[in-house]
Amino acid sequence: MTHSRTMRRVALLATTALVGSAFAAAPAAAQGDPNVCDGVIDGPVNLSMTIHSGTNPGPEPETVDAFNNGPGAELGVTITMNELGEGAYETSLKSAAAAGEMPDIVDMDGPFLYEFAWAGLVRPIESCFTEEELAAFLPSIIQQGTYLDALYSLGTFDSGLGLWAHRSMLEDVGARIPEGPADAWTVEEFDQVLRDLQAAGYGANGPLDIKWAYGAGEWRSYGFSPMIQSAGGDLIDRSTMASSEGFFNGPEAVGAWTQFQTWVNDGLIDIVAEDDSNVTVGPDGEPNTGDETPLSWVGHWMYPPYNEAFGDDLVNLPLPNFGNGSKTGMGSWNWAASTGPDGVPNTGDEADLDAVAAFIKHVTSAPEIKRFTDANGAVPATQEALAASPLHQPGGIMYIYVENLNNAHTDTSLDQWGAVPRPATPAYGFIRDRFSDAMADIVAGADVQSTLDAAAQAIDQEIEDAGYAD
Amino acid sequence: MSVTLRGGGSAEPTGSVRWRRRFTSEGATAWLFSAPAVLLLVAFMVIPFILAFYFSFTNERLISPRPTEWVGLRNYTRIWEDPVFWTSLGNNIVFSVVVVPLQTAFALLLAMLVNQKLRGVTVFRTIFFMPITVIMAAVSVIWIVLLNPQGLINAFMEIVTFGNFTPDWLGDPQYALIAIMLVSIWASVGFQMVILLAALQDVPVTLYEAARLDGANTWQQFRNVTLPGIRNQLLFVLTITTILSFRLFDQVWIMPDRPGGPLDSTRTLMVDIVDTGVFDGNIGRGSALSVVFLAIVLVITFAQRRLIKQEGDVR
Repeated sequence: MTHSRTMRRVALLATTALVGSAFAAAPAAAQGDPNVCDGVIDGPVNLSMTIHSGTNPGPEPETVDAFNNGPGAELGVTITMNELGEGAYETSLKSAAAAGEMPDIVDMDGPFLYEFAWAGLVRPIESCFTEEELAAFLPSIIQQGTYLDALYSLGTFDSGLGLWAHRSMLEDVGARIPEGPADAWTVEEFDQVLRDLQAAGYGANGPLDIKWAYGAGEWRSYGFSPMIQSAGGDLIDRSTMASSEGFFNGPEAVGAWTQFQTWVNDGLIDIVAEDDSNVTVGPDGEPNTGDETPLSWVGHWMYPPYNEAFGDDLVNLPLPNFGNGSKTGMGSWNWAASTGPDGVPNTGDEADLDAVAAFIKHVTSAPEIKRFTDANGAVPATQEALAASPLHQPGGIMYIYVENLNNAHTDTSLDQWGAVPRPATPAYGFIRDRFSDAMADIVAGADVQSTLDAAAQAIDQEIEDAGYAD
Repeated sequence: MSVTLRGGGSAEPTGSVRWRRRFTSEGATAWLFSAPAVLLLVAFMVIPFILAFYFSFTNERLISPRPTEWVGLRNYTRIWEDPVFWTSLGNNIVFSVVVVPLQTAFALLLAMLVNQKLRGVTVFRTIFFMPITVIMAAVSVIWIVLLNPQGLINAFMEIVTFGNFTPDWLGDPQYALIAIMLVSIWASVGFQMVILLAALQDVPVTLYEAARLDGANTWQQFRNVTLPGIRNQLLFVLTITTILSFRLFDQVWIMPDRPGGPLDSTRTLMVDIVDTGVFDGNIGRGSALSVVFLAIVLVITFAQRRLIKQEGDVR
């Protein structure tokens, strides 16, 4: 989610060609059923793993080293890790599966798990964990990893989304500072705050930063579907997962997008910034001089840089309430076991599930969770690790993420604040791309209703053609 | 310099005669030498296209639990009914109709400029040719920065138009395609220039001398000596530019905020194919789009070739 748009697309051109050769072969000498955890790892196992690489190097290499030298050495499991650029990551994995070179362990962003599960590229891992072990995870992590009643993946962390803000600038214009998601700004208040900030001269290109430079793709759908969900709309009819008609393009969604478009037209949203410096330092290149963009609509991963740049002035606010309560996004990267290089279930090339599970247990252990969340500020995935993170406890700056996760719900027609998971449908990838394109068009001045109508129609047609809901 | 009166340096007739002779007498050797190229062409062009043709009638997807099934013309009817396809085709046509003549004329102008015997003219030849050595992806990234609403181009526009015309080049559907046309011409005109420069240098000086003796002015020399002299290369440049312009992809994929954006104003058939086939994973429909695309390009190319041949006969 942190790659800039151009680098993503350039990387795509370069990487799709290389994918085929990127994966190490995975020999698997399986005696027992490799698809069920029986507690026995059959002989020394070499596992291939592919992870996404963002702009900043993540802690994965250390994690893999720690595993290979620790529990892996004891169990006879060695992991070879590959990195693929985030921009073309999902497509690269699909191509790898089509080419028979799927890695054994896959790191995948929450919502595209469902298409992989639907297509049979990943295996259920429930048999590897006791009920107790699973109960240690946040419910949101279990929910994210579940597709059609089977558990396919577990994550090391969950995510949080809100408004990072310069407190002093809000105080300067006399804005009310919400205490938590329950008393989030209403859309009218938010509108007023934006206009006041603009009138006071904050933000050279508009007072609200929305990370427009992240470009097309997951960020836009993750970051802004909470807006239409807060208004009462949604991406799809979750009761059938068969149609977006009336949800993606319903009056609630149209209302929220029209409001958003007005903010763009009135110069309240910064769609010019090429990176994060508008928020951290402003045009003069120095932090805390008053020329920074006051509000930034983005997730937990900006905590480390913002904390460093803002100092004590940093405040974390819930997203505005568009009518049905302040809603926010949830879910993040998670770990799954593939069905072997060919991506087809039960063909005998699957790696021993016990070995894969050994790594997933390692990467979701308390020290590893701390390693990841210290680096990116995300919400730790287990109750134990969460309790050990002061930033995510009451009074901590990221506690609102935890409050939102505790209030997670899927029925957006309810007047209730909290996090809303992305819909668990294999159509999600297609919906995300239509969402991202529609958002770009709306920002560019397109007619909201007809843009959303065309997208909803395309989504419904794709679900029918691909058989996603059958 | 060539001594043939025709000029133009087209060795085609002699070449093909020689080829035919070799083909019969040394056929085996010829096949042996062409085998690597033929094999690669078959492996990377012919077979993929046959597969694409087959897939275009199926529901094939990049990943799917469903078996590949015959769906008849469904992919083609979906394309026919899709307004985005027609928008993309329209953009392709607009781009070609504007860029092909403009770029060819500009290339000819540059070629004539750098064909003069002046000191330091090689420097200009190099400068004009330089963009060709940079891959289009890199050119696109550089121009994104230059075309930023607050970038260098607009800083210049601000001065020369007194602040009256500083559009958001890539963000405004009205200007995005225009901006991409200008970048495309800038980036690739050097290629056409070099071909035309070679052609210009092949026009015998004696013809110009004769024309001047007959009292022809500069325009008449250009009209009656230069143009006929470089006619073949000029037509080659037109054909190749048309085909290349139809394949417009890198710039429109990388430069706008979203590929083909804003509002589909720079979306081309290639973007449609990649979006559908790769990102949506809809191989069936993507293949159908490729087949349609190939058909369109073939029709245009054959039409152009016919035109060229007919004119050749008249001469």
